[in-house]
Amino acid sequence: MALHLSMGEAHRRITEYLARFSDAVFSQDGSALNPLLAVSSNSPYLLSLADALNVFQDSSRLVNQTDKYSLLGEILLPHFRCLQSFRIGRFVDAYVAFEKAANAFLLEFRNWETGWAMEAMHTVALEIRVLAERADRELALSGKNPEKLQGAGSFLMRVFGALAGKGPKRVGALYVTCQLFKIYFKLGTVHLCRSVIRSIETARIFDFEEFPVRDKVTYMYYTGRLEVFNENFLAADQKLMYALMHCNPRSEANMRMILKYLIPVKLSIGILPKMGLLEKYNLLEYKDVINALKMGDLRLLRRALQQHEDQFLKSGVYLVLEKLELQVYQRLVKKIYIIQKQKDPSRAHQMKLEVIAKALAWLEMDMDVDEVECIMSILIYKNLIKGYFAHKSKVVVLSKQDPFPRLNGKPVNS
Amino acid sequence: MAAASPVRRRIPNPAWSSSGLTESGTPSNSGYHYGQGEMAVSGNAQGGVNSASHASTSTSVVATTATQQYAGYAHYPSATTSYGYSNTQYQSYYYGYQQPDNDSSSQQVGANQNSGAAYQPLSSFQNSAGSYVHPSSYLGTYYNTGDHQTTAGYENSNYNYQNNWWNNGNCGSYPLHVYPSYTSSDTNSTQSSSAVSTNSLPYQQQYNQWPYYYSQSAPIVSCAPGTENTSITIGCSVEGGSGGYPYPSNQPPPPGTTSWRKDAGSSGLPSLQEKKDVTAHHSNGSGGIGAPTFQNHHVNQMPLYFQKPTDLTPLPHENREDQQKLLYSQSPVLSLSSTNQLPENSLSPSQGIPISETRRLSKLQIPTNPRIASNLGMPKTDKESSITNGALKPAYISVSVPKPNIKSSSQDDAEAIIKVTFPPSLRAYVERTFGRCKDDAQRSANQKIMKEIITKASADGTLFTRNWDIEPLFPLPNASLDMVEQKRTKSRWEPVAEENLMDKQPSLTSDSVKVASWDHFEGTGRAADSKKYESKEGGCNGVRLFSSPQQTPLSKFGQRPVKKPRFGDFPNATENGDGSSDSDKEQDLTKYYASAIALANSPEEKRRREHRSKRFEKIQGNKAESKGYGPNIAGAGSIYTRRASAMMLAKNYEDGYSRAVEDIDWDALTVKGTCQEIEKRYLRLTSAPDPATVRTEEVLEKALQMVQTSQKNYFYKCDQLKSIRQDLTVQRIRNVLTVKVYETHARLALEAGDLPEFNQCQSQLKRLYAEGIEGCHMEFSAYNLLCAILHSNSKRDLLSSMTRLSNEAKDDEAVKHALAVRSTVLSGNYVQFFRLYKAAPNLNTCLMDLFVEKMRFEAVKCMSKSYRPTVPVAYVARVLGFARAVSSENSEDKCKDGLVECEEWLRAHGAILTIDNNGELQLDSKASSSSLYIPEPEDAVAHGDASLAVDDFLTRAL
Repeated sequence: MALHLSMGEAHRRITEYLARFSDAVFSQDGSALNPLLAVSSNSPYLLSLADALNVFQDSSRLVNQTDKYSLLGEILLPHFRCLQSFRIGRFVDAYVAFEKAANAFLLEFRNWETGWAMEAMHTVALEIRVLAERADRELALSGKNPEKLQGAGSFLMRVFGALAGKGPKRVGALYVTCQLFKIYFKLGTVHLCRSVIRSIETARIFDFEEFPVRDKVTYMYYTGRLEVFNENFLAADQKLMYALMHCNPRSEANMRMILKYLIPVKLSIGILPKMGLLEKYNLLEYKDVINALKMGDLRLLRRALQQHEDQFLKSGVYLVLEKLELQVYQRLVKKIYIIQKQKDPSRAHQMKLEVIAKALAWLEMDMDVDEVECIMSILIYKNLIKGYFAHKSKVVVLSKQDPFPRLNGKPVNS
Repeated sequence: MAAASPVRRRIPNPAWSSSGLTESGTPSNSGYHYGQGEMAVSGNAQGGVNSASHASTSTSVVATTATQQYAGYAHYPSATTSYGYSNTQYQSYYYGYQQPDNDSSSQQVGANQNSGAAYQPLSSFQNSAGSYVHPSSYLGTYYNTGDHQTTAGYENSNYNYQNNWWNNGNCGSYPLHVYPSYTSSDTNSTQSSSAVSTNSLPYQQQYNQWPYYYSQSAPIVSCAPGTENTSITIGCSVEGGSGGYPYPSNQPPPPGTTSWRKDAGSSGLPSLQEKKDVTAHHSNGSGGIGAPTFQNHHVNQMPLYFQKPTDLTPLPHENREDQQKLLYSQSPVLSLSSTNQLPENSLSPSQGIPISETRRLSKLQIPTNPRIASNLGMPKTDKESSITNGALKPAYISVSVPKPNIKSSSQDDAEAIIKVTFPPSLRAYVERTFGRCKDDAQRSANQKIMKEIITKASADGTLFTRNWDIEPLFPLPNASLDMVEQKRTKSRWEPVAEENLMDKQPSLTSDSVKVASWDHFEGTGRAADSKKYESKEGGCNGVRLFSSPQQTPLSKFGQRPVKKPRFGDFPNATENGDGSSDSDKEQDLTKYYASAIALANSPEEKRRREHRSKRFEKIQGNKAESKGYGPNIAGAGSIYTRRASAMMLAKNYEDGYSRAVEDIDWDALTVKGTCQEIEKRYLRLTSAPDPATVRTEEVLEKALQMVQTSQKNYFYKCDQLKSIRQDLTVQRIRNVLTVKVYETHARLALEAGDLPEFNQCQSQLKRLYAEGIEGCHMEFSAYNLLCAILHSNSKRDLLSSMTRLSNEAKDDEAVKHALAVRSTVLSGNYVQFFRLYKAAPNLNTCLMDLFVEKMRFEAVKCMSKSYRPTVPVAYVARVLGFARAVSSENSEDKCKDGLVECEEWLRAHGAILTIDNNGELQLDSKASSSSLYIPEPEDAVAHGDASLAVDDFLTRAL
């Protein structure tokens, strides 16, 4: 199609784009500017412009001809190059060009007093991340070092710097922060999040409630994930719950993403979800884990972990789920206790080690007495069982009052 | 660097100036040949006169020189041929002058210097055009140099030679004038005048004939040294004219070939020394750049001079050398190499005298070498080193004087005739062989073998046809010959200056021996001569260093003209490196020399020398030097050109921003090692690696084996492995060997508890495995996991390293073990942990050691909370791995040991122990639960990391 494009038509399209762009800028119309910058949106308008640019090579002349356009030449010329490269699938070139345009745009943006162009700035922030990801994919395919996403990250840090001020632009900072989170999580350099988080949470210029809800949810989701990594289950629970409560319930994908982390966190503080929730959000990988917790079935837990190991490792909840083992033990001992109580209530609180070992053996857990003793001792130590262990007689003596305390929203004692 | 250079220059100056003053002050100078004072200083007198002067003046150096000057002077005018020589010298001198241009240009270029050949001519040319206005006549020579560089060796060299020759005959004279004059002017007025006169004398006639050239020469002079020089030059020319006339008249007709050669030799010598003076002056007066050039002058002059009298064949060699110089003039190393080559020159000429000359030359250079050597360690400091060289030269002037005398006296008469019958290359070969000898036994053995070889060669008629230059040296009976090689390789890496010293000195001695032996061989050697020689030896060690190492490279020149230059550089450079330690000692050379003469024959000195040589023998490796180079050199040469082009590319890219770093052909920049030494100490590179000190892959493999089988302590092994790693890295070798090296090092580091080193290796191994190189991937995945558990505060590292594990890896024994350890650590399952601890594969135990303390403490805390009322200590000891062997329950002793250890540990951690009714030791859990604590580690150090405490580390490593 591009081949059939006439010179005149191409010229017309380019000049029209230039007119729209400069009009949007000079009339400070952010919503008009926005679509003009969204390279990866694949909007038909931009695609046709890209075709026109590929036909009409001398676009720089058009830009420089008119004073109005040449003022924006620093943005427009690399932006045109980006559009061209993007159109023909050369994402590395597109990224490089877009970064130039974005830098120029950021310079202009700093000079604008109001935040009218905030939306456009956000588009730029999004585009640069998306383009960088595509460029990195292209680089990786050709065996080169994918480094563009990193470059996009440092650009966004500068954008953040431009926004983190007292002016009206500060409400846009959280969006950029979230884009940064996405980059850092993708790159595996989550430690870089810390500085941004610190400035968001401690700087006085930011009032968290002031930010747009969508940014707050995203932010809470990512910071909640970070807390999961650090095994701060209470903090993680709080943040992820915030995200879940404020998330648009219709965007189920987002809900699912939040739940993916929230469920393990809840499990580790002793709160089990209903199966309906798992089914609704297609999180059935947790089903067996939850069942194991309910039944005290250590074998089931281990099997579930093994089965979904890759998935859990990738999402980073593996270690959290593994820690549930102690709760499963607790459940198992409790079950034994209940059975004993039914048989002989007077001696139910004395639990012989060999009984527990037998139960574990029945679950095909290969453990000898020493190890079972160790686990019992750990359960007592972690306050999952109230009581003590008499080494001489190899008996667990359970407390008569509430021998198996519930976690009740608190993580396992550590 | 700029700041440092003036200081350096200044230091040597006093010495020089003093000598110069004395020279000028000597009545003899003023009376006889006023102008020639300079020449005389350097000058070697001929047999009779010199010996006489020597005997009388031996006490004071200065006096000696003065007398020598006389002698040299007288001889100078002797023949018409000599006249020609002088021209050549000048020419060469001029030639050398151009080199300065090259130098400066190359320095400016920066990166390009190293690389080389192709690039250099251009840059130099441009620079010369810019800074110095070269007359058209010069251009001829100049261009030749350029041609040399670009094209391959032989033809060019010949071509060059012709040009030079032509220049020498016709227009060579005027450049000479200019230089000496201005240089001298810088330092002493008297000297300058004398120098001028000397120079001018021979050339005056030609000078007149070629006014055109002369006029052109003037601008050059002015440009190079500075504004001062111009005025000086003018004065010089005038003086030269006046002084010059007497000279020609003195010349007697050449009596015969032998005599003629002698004359040439004698005349040549003074001229050379003149140049030296000049150089010295330059260094004093002119900037840092000037200094290196001067050195080059020296070199160039010598070769030219020799060759002219004899045949054309030698010339190509020289030319090549010149080429080399031109090419490499930039760096100090280069200049050195050129100097070193002088011995070669001696080989080529058929005359008897040349040999002595060469030696002399080498001696002259010697003083510079130590200096250079110090710089060699850091090749980048071109300027500095060059400056140093220049500065040092004055010192060596005094040294040089005695040597020539001896030589000439001993050898001239008898030797000349004998030697004429042998081709120069053979003589060089003989000299080479003797150069290897270190003691009398070796020398005599060598002599025997040599005789056999020569008789055999003359018997089958190959005496004159064989290319002696490339003839491999036969193995010496007691072969301790390798010292040269050894030294070469070692020098750079020897961190301790003292060691360098030691290396160097032995070599010096051996050289002196060699000289002596040579005399014997000729049959002309006399007791007196040898004595003198020895006495000098103390002062002029430097010569020795050069002679032996040089020969190998030289011999190869014939074969590979193109590569030769490169090749020459490196050995020499390294060679020089050895001498660095000497620089301090020889800073005040005059003084040193005087004392050296006095000391030379003293028993003390002899003993010391002996001692040194012995020590050296011990140090030696077992490789024959000739073996080492062959193939590698060729490779090195080509690599250099590649590097050169790559550097050029890189440079060009810098200009255009569009070129990214990855477009540079890094492969072309990769060093290809030539070193054959198995052992090498690690020294962090502060500059571009020198291929001569980088070991080849095969050698590195042997080195790895050596380390693996070595019984020495971890420190030694770590050092060796680091140097191996360095050599691999600079050569960009990434293969199975690399993996093996890193694995070996990582394991050793683990065993020694050297975690930082282990982490380095581990991270490299990760990359290497990622490239698909075979190795013990699983074993190190396990280590990686264990490290992740140990180090990560956040669980992310652990998670990511678990994520990276392949299914295949998860089936591996070691990885399984590590994963199990991980889960026991995270869950606090101490029983399982200590079971795994005892059953750890590979070196997992070493990493688990790092958890043990923590696990035990946690376990005891857990026990004290959960057990009531008591826990038997025996149980604790068993569960917490105190009883070493699992099966030790049977053996009472081990159980006891574990028990005692456990008890001590528990008490140290605040546990409260009681003895129950049965007399069994129990842990009172309730009482202990509140009293447990982690004691301060006894080996704690202020900086927090006990492994950084060297003493402690040493004892552990041992």
